[in-house]
Amino acid sequence: MKTGIFICHCGHNIKHTVDVRKVRDYFSAFPNVVVSSDYPFVCSEPGQEMIRESIEKEGLQRVIIASCTPSLHDELFKDVLRKSHLNPFLLRRVGIREHCSWVGDDVARNTEKAIRLIRAGLYSAAHYVPLEEKMVEVTKSALIVGGGVSGLSAALFLSNMGMHVYLVEKGPVLGGHVRTLKDIWPIRKDGAAVVGEMEAELREREHVEIFTSTTVTNFEGAFGNYRATLHTPEGDREVTAGGCIVAIGFSPFDATAKPELAYGKDGRVMTTVDFEQRADSLSLPAKPRVAILHCIGSRDEQVGRPYCSRVCCVNALRTAEAVRQRYEGSYVECFYMDVRAHPRGGEEFFEETQEKGALFTRGNVAEIVPGPKGLLVRGEDTLLGELFEREFDLAVLSVGMSPPADSAAVASLMKITLDKDRFFLEAHVKLRPYDTAVKGIFIAGTCSGPKDMEEAINHGRASGVKLYGFLSAGFAVVDPFVAVVDVKRCSGCRMCERACVAKAIKFDEAARVVRVEEAACMGCGLCNSTCPSSSIGLRGYIDSALDDEIAALVEAV
Amino acid sequence: MEEKSALDPQIVGFACSFCTFKASEMAGSLRMKYPDGVRIVQVPCSSRVDPAFVIKSIFDGADAVFVAGCHPGDCHFIKGNYFTRRKMAALKEMLDAFSMKEKLRLFWVSAAEARRFVQKVTAMYDGIKEAAHADAGKRN
Amino acid sequence: MQTQAKEIREGALEKGLNRFLGDEGCLVFGFEGGPEGVRHRMFKGTIDGHLLFNPCFDVNGALYLRRLFSKGAKIVLMLRPCEIRSYVELVKLTQVEPEGIIAVSVDCPGTVSSKEKVADLPADGPGLAAYFKAEDKMRPACRTCRERRGVVGDAGVRIAADGSMWACSYTEKGDAFLGLIEGDAAAAVPEMLLAEAAPKGGHFHTDMAAFTKDFAPCIMCKNCRDVCPVCYCIDCLFNGDEYLPKGDALLNKVLRTGQGAMPQGREVFHLVRMFHVSQSCVGCGACEEACPQSIPLATYFKGISERLQGMFGYMSGRGADEAIPYLTFQEDELHDAED
Repeated sequence: MKTGIFICHCGHNIKHTVDVRKVRDYFSAFPNVVVSSDYPFVCSEPGQEMIRESIEKEGLQRVIIASCTPSLHDELFKDVLRKSHLNPFLLRRVGIREHCSWVGDDVARNTEKAIRLIRAGLYSAAHYVPLEEKMVEVTKSALIVGGGVSGLSAALFLSNMGMHVYLVEKGPVLGGHVRTLKDIWPIRKDGAAVVGEMEAELREREHVEIFTSTTVTNFEGAFGNYRATLHTPEGDREVTAGGCIVAIGFSPFDATAKPELAYGKDGRVMTTVDFEQRADSLSLPAKPRVAILHCIGSRDEQVGRPYCSRVCCVNALRTAEAVRQRYEGSYVECFYMDVRAHPRGGEEFFEETQEKGALFTRGNVAEIVPGPKGLLVRGEDTLLGELFEREFDLAVLSVGMSPPADSAAVASLMKITLDKDRFFLEAHVKLRPYDTAVKGIFIAGTCSGPKDMEEAINHGRASGVKLYGFLSAGFAVVDPFVAVVDVKRCSGCRMCERACVAKAIKFDEAARVVRVEEAACMGCGLCNSTCPSSSIGLRGYIDSALDDEIAALVEAV
Repeated sequence: MEEKSALDPQIVGFACSFCTFKASEMAGSLRMKYPDGVRIVQVPCSSRVDPAFVIKSIFDGADAVFVAGCHPGDCHFIKGNYFTRRKMAALKEMLDAFSMKEKLRLFWVSAAEARRFVQKVTAMYDGIKEAAHADAGKRN
Repeated sequence: MQTQAKEIREGALEKGLNRFLGDEGCLVFGFEGGPEGVRHRMFKGTIDGHLLFNPCFDVNGALYLRRLFSKGAKIVLMLRPCEIRSYVELVKLTQVEPEGIIAVSVDCPGTVSSKEKVADLPADGPGLAAYFKAEDKMRPACRTCRERRGVVGDAGVRIAADGSMWACSYTEKGDAFLGLIEGDAAAAVPEMLLAEAAPKGGHFHTDMAAFTKDFAPCIMCKNCRDVCPVCYCIDCLFNGDEYLPKGDALLNKVLRTGQGAMPQGREVFHLVRMFHVSQSCVGCGACEEACPQSIPLATYFKGISERLQGMFGYMSGRGADEAIPYLTFQEDELHDAED
């Protein structure tokens, strides 16, 4: 079986701790390896061309590409094989960057590890057979869970592109948290107006169904054909969607988790969220003294929120400005660690707020003690290096963004993952920030991490664009890695049938063997490991391939 | 099975594509370092791991084996890892009967837990190395 | 299910079974005495020569029921509890069609190995119980038997302490068996000779050195696998070139790995088989009986399977509706196994 091995330097990312020449030479000595070469960037155009030429010139039957982790450039390299008229599943990717060169420093040992990993790929690939990718028709519709601005943004884009949209909102109205905001910086509009515009436009569109006071209670199927049950006030409704966007927003940090700040105990302590609602109806004395605390529920290991919530500094500035505008002679002091007014114009906004008379003291507030004449705010001024204790009439806590209350439930329902902070996890932080690990399910807005309104709207649209890209062709290509039964060896014990989570295995009474319904098979391989004779095997991961991989990893180099 | 020195442990690990393998990718992206004796076999789900693979790994020369997947309840294939846990717990019981319990480890690492992945495999590697050094010390 | 019981008076069993065998397509699978000793037999037409007890273990009779799928025949099994338990496991694994079969387990006082050629063994229940009072007289597998009583299957034939014999039914099919025997059901059952079923034998523990030594004489004949009633695969993993290569495949492996000790794969074969049968092994010791090298297979297979069944509170062959442990799970369990 003529095999070609192509070893990437990845610039110096692999080359710096793996002796690629040595690896190349090691494999040249193998009987079936007719090509063993190394190259700076195999993913580049000339790199791909080099591989293509080798395949055609040498009549290669198996191709091993040793480079970055297999999930990167998957389609790119499969296309190289397709163009050379070789079945794309005769390609074996070996990860020697994320799994070798980047995680070890010793060149000699890394080189040996790279050799073992490539050898494992080589032995394994000998068992590969050509596989056919399945085409399935997809439903050109999208289910958007969450009717806040990111969900609305996605819905607007997708309906504009002619897709059928199901927008599901748990609460009675659309708009999420933005709806409650007043005088949003820098657009200087109320959230209700922003949401109103988006909602009005959406409701005019055809093929858009909006459900409020509705939750998703069941979710199954595969990319291109998801089936969801919507629990609406009028009863349950089944919908089929080609893809799904999760945009369920965030929860404001619950400040009662910091009891030393007296939130919930004294009405003079409120959060920026409370302030948003009550700014015009506060009963404050003349020339009120207002304290604004940054980073409440952010950058705080003690309450399990080590991250920065990105929007709360600007919220603090908005609050400071609002107080100064409403109350002549007011004393406004902001207690901060850093002022992260990051958006465009943010730094200027910070300057202006100071010019409007707000004072900024660097230091964390240790506690707020309510008293008859006011709130005693105690802390340390870190620039002056001294403790302070000042009295205020109102304390506003600029709270951070916590993950949405339903994140675990939705994650469980759709089999997507949460990150360490319990926000939804994207497939790749840099390269795939809108995808999840599950094909066809995307995330948008603050449910994947703190972001401001503009970012949330953009994120929603971007997820919509990605989803549209997947479904626009009308069909999807599905991996052929499903289970297959060797009926000559199957003894009909039905253990695999009983184990199968997807219920994709059925017993043929007449033939006394089992059969796999390929459309339903998820490709986990549980059946394969349950069967004592491995008569049912998972294509792409059959016993002989994995057995040889194991041997190759452990045998002496 | 020949008596092998585990002073330079060889560990074969089975990592599921959707969780543990992703974490190992992230560990690489973050340039986190772990012992090169740890070598990973990628499987779609931890439930693909046949106990025969574990036994074969040990008898082919691995000093220890780990099987790692998504946290129970979060399996990408919904319930696969519950079955993994049953089979691996039973296999561990069998290895324990042969005084080889430490040769198989079972743990859960989600896609976001690069640090946990590195911690788990490093601790496993160090533990085996220490035990081998202690054995060598006793024999001398 | 209420257990119903009837005393079996002199000749009643033979009379009942003969009546059963009078119908077309009816068979009794049990033991027959002859000049060469006691052996299994499929009785057709008449029950002449039938013996309730076979104290000389050669094979596990359930082996012969594998792949019996026709629904036409009606068969009464009159076998040892370990054989009935194997039968129940085979039913769970869809390897036997149970519809026409009534499984009757007979109290078993113990057995000797067929290789030992023991003379003058008693033929009756109380006599055998007395003979095996000295436990070293029975096979190692019997010494650590977890269930000698006829309490498994559809019905049981039990020996009372006073020497009388009783038929007990455990299922509807068992009721049909009871119906074959003259007499009325009793209100109460007397004390039985074999009273307890407490698991014998301790917590199996050994190490690789002992294992390697015990299995060193193995010649990889696979007799143990072939006679095991619950090793049901029609094409075993170890038949191919994966684990135990021959010919060119062997040559390739030796040249590649340098591993040339023969026969290849002894340890892996037994350990993998041990895991594969772990939830169905009944500890009958048929494997050890068939081993030409006298390897103490039963000690290992029984020991491992008891530990692995015990950890799930499972006993092979005890109940036809008990789920096989590897095919089910609980969401919150086995945290001790997690590292």
